Amino acid sequence: MNRILIVDDEASIRLLYSQELMDEGYEVDTAGTISEALGLLSEKSYSVTLLDIKLKNESGLDLLQKLVKERNDMAVILSTAFSCYKDDFSAWLADGYVVKSSDMKELKDEIKRLIERKRAR
Amino acid sequence: MGYKCCWFNPGRNIKECPNIEEGEEYLYSSPRKRLVEKCVYCQSFQEDIAQLPEESPLKKIISILSDEYKEQKGHLQSLSTFLTSKSMEIKFLHELSLVLQTSMELDEVLSVAMTAITSGKGFGMNRAFLLMTDRDRKYLVGHLGVGPRNYEEAWRIWDEVDRSNFSLTELSREFYKTKISSERAKFQDILEKLTISRDLKEHIFNRSLNDRRPILVENASQNPEIDPGLVSTLGVEQFLVMPLISRNRSIGILLADNFVTNKPITPRDMQSLQTFAFPVAFAIERASLYERLNDEVEKQAMANKKLKEQQELIVRMENMAVVGRITSSIAHSIRNPLAAIGGYARSLMKSGDLIDKKEYLEQILKQAKQLDEVLEEVLSYSDSVHPVMDSWDLNHLAASVAADMEERSIEHKLKFVLKLEADLPQTRLDYKQIAYCLKTVISHVTINQPEAGSIAIETCSSGERIWLCVIDKVSSLSEEMKNALMTPFMETATLGQGVGLALCKVILERHGSSFDIEDIPGGGTRYCIILQNLKEGM
Repeated sequence: MNRILIVDDEASIRLLYSQELMDEGYEVDTAGTISEALGLLSEKSYSVTLLDIKLKNESGLDLLQKLVKERNDMAVILSTAFSCYKDDFSAWLADGYVVKSSDMKELKDEIKRLIERKRAR
Repeated sequence: MGYKCCWFNPGRNIKECPNIEEGEEYLYSSPRKRLVEKCVYCQSFQEDIAQLPEESPLKKIISILSDEYKEQKGHLQSLSTFLTSKSMEIKFLHELSLVLQTSMELDEVLSVAMTAITSGKGFGMNRAFLLMTDRDRKYLVGHLGVGPRNYEEAWRIWDEVDRSNFSLTELSREFYKTKISSERAKFQDILEKLTISRDLKEHIFNRSLNDRRPILVENASQNPEIDPGLVSTLGVEQFLVMPLISRNRSIGILLADNFVTNKPITPRDMQSLQTFAFPVAFAIERASLYERLNDEVEKQAMANKKLKEQQELIVRMENMAVVGRITSSIAHSIRNPLAAIGGYARSLMKSGDLIDKKEYLEQILKQAKQLDEVLEEVLSYSDSVHPVMDSWDLNHLAASVAADMEERSIEHKLKFVLKLEADLPQTRLDYKQIAYCLKTVISHVTINQPEAGSIAIETCSSGERIWLCVIDKVSSLSEEMKNALMTPFMETATLGQGVGLALCKVILERHGSSFDIEDIPGGGTRYCIILQNLKEGM
């Protein structure tokens, strides 16, 4: 089963996303901070990490750089309220970029696409 | 021996003297004046002197005195004629100087100078050309030619001038007002041929200018120092090259000839023209400097105007930026909870747990979606500061946006009438931003005029500008309403409030374009996106 890590400082988003993705048949873990995420990443392997950019006083883009260097087998999707980061070079390192919305179809399609891409390799 | 002269016949009535004419009656009472003015030239007096005895010393003395007197008188008359001519010349130069001093426009100065050279009331040359050094001082450029091009024209012009009886000043004013452009065009071919590089040191023009002396060229076709091309261009054997120098600065060259009459140009003509050339050179330089000064002043005025506009724009954009930062911050704070609210409503819908409350959940979802769209618009306000420019066909953009909006409108109620200019040039623009602005304008028109029926979109170009306009044929806007539309969140009773068009204005200004709302005579409003026709690489 594909495992997904959700990194977001908003508890309501973590809960919503994890339920929706579990309904889709994924195994889901959540982290509210970068250190929590790193802890989980050191214990388990994930197919996809769903990463918020603004994490209270931390930046998801910092974690993204680390993940690209150390976990290049895992896809990372930036999930954020800010559409402007699409133009940020550091955001281009991510495999996907989804603006948060009440309609999660785009997010789910993106996760599916990346998992299929990984499987095809 | 009989004497004939009255001096030797004291009894003769002096009033019978045949040499004294009417109006010279004063000579009757003044023997001294009569002697020097009439008697020395009188045949009877000469003959009487000749009859004097050879041994009389008086005969020799009177002959010497008489001859010397006649010679001195001839010399005095010649000097008097010379002085009269010089006096007239000074008067003429004085008149010209006055006109030159009061003329600040270059063409006006040139009109005075060239008319003076070619007019019979001036120096009376048949034809004159002016060559001026260019700003980089690399070329002597043919600037103006005055005179006839052939014999027929010459007689016609001179006849006209004779009949007009204009003074020199009047002639030059007439020339300045009505003829200077046509004369320039008439001699364009010759002026182009006369243009030479300042590097050709041996050319007669450069020699005259560099040596600061006029040159009277004689037998031009036989003169090895004269370029045969120049002789062929001018078609004369004799011409005058006059340098125009003002305070050590080479202003240009005056060329003059008697192309029609072939009247010889004398060294005295050359000297007179040289005297005239000094004030002309000075006036030309002053007028050129004045013209350049005016250009600079105009440029400064334009720069100041632009600067003022930029300052106003900066102030407005700063205000907009403050609003933008606040709205952006609020919008981001709203997006997370909004995503959660909408997301949970969807979960509940999907689970079927609240099937009896399905309508409520649908309302929550609908409202969340609407809020999401508002957020997207508000967030666009602070996004994409730098446009992504590329070459696009504006007609294609207008047609695509219209088709997209038609398709998205509920039950395809929205209809567009496209009036797109054929062969509209491609222009550099940010497709996404301009498409967004067009959509926003169309949305504004449809929201405020739901019964407007079809909406017209027009494109057209003129010079460096391209217009993309949306036409609202129904409603007209007051100035207050137009201002309100350009200011984010400024509310009006009829238009409500929002950032849509204000955002368009900011986007277009950042894009180097502008947005305008115009009244249509007879009713209606035209919303215009005005783009600069920017070519590749600009």
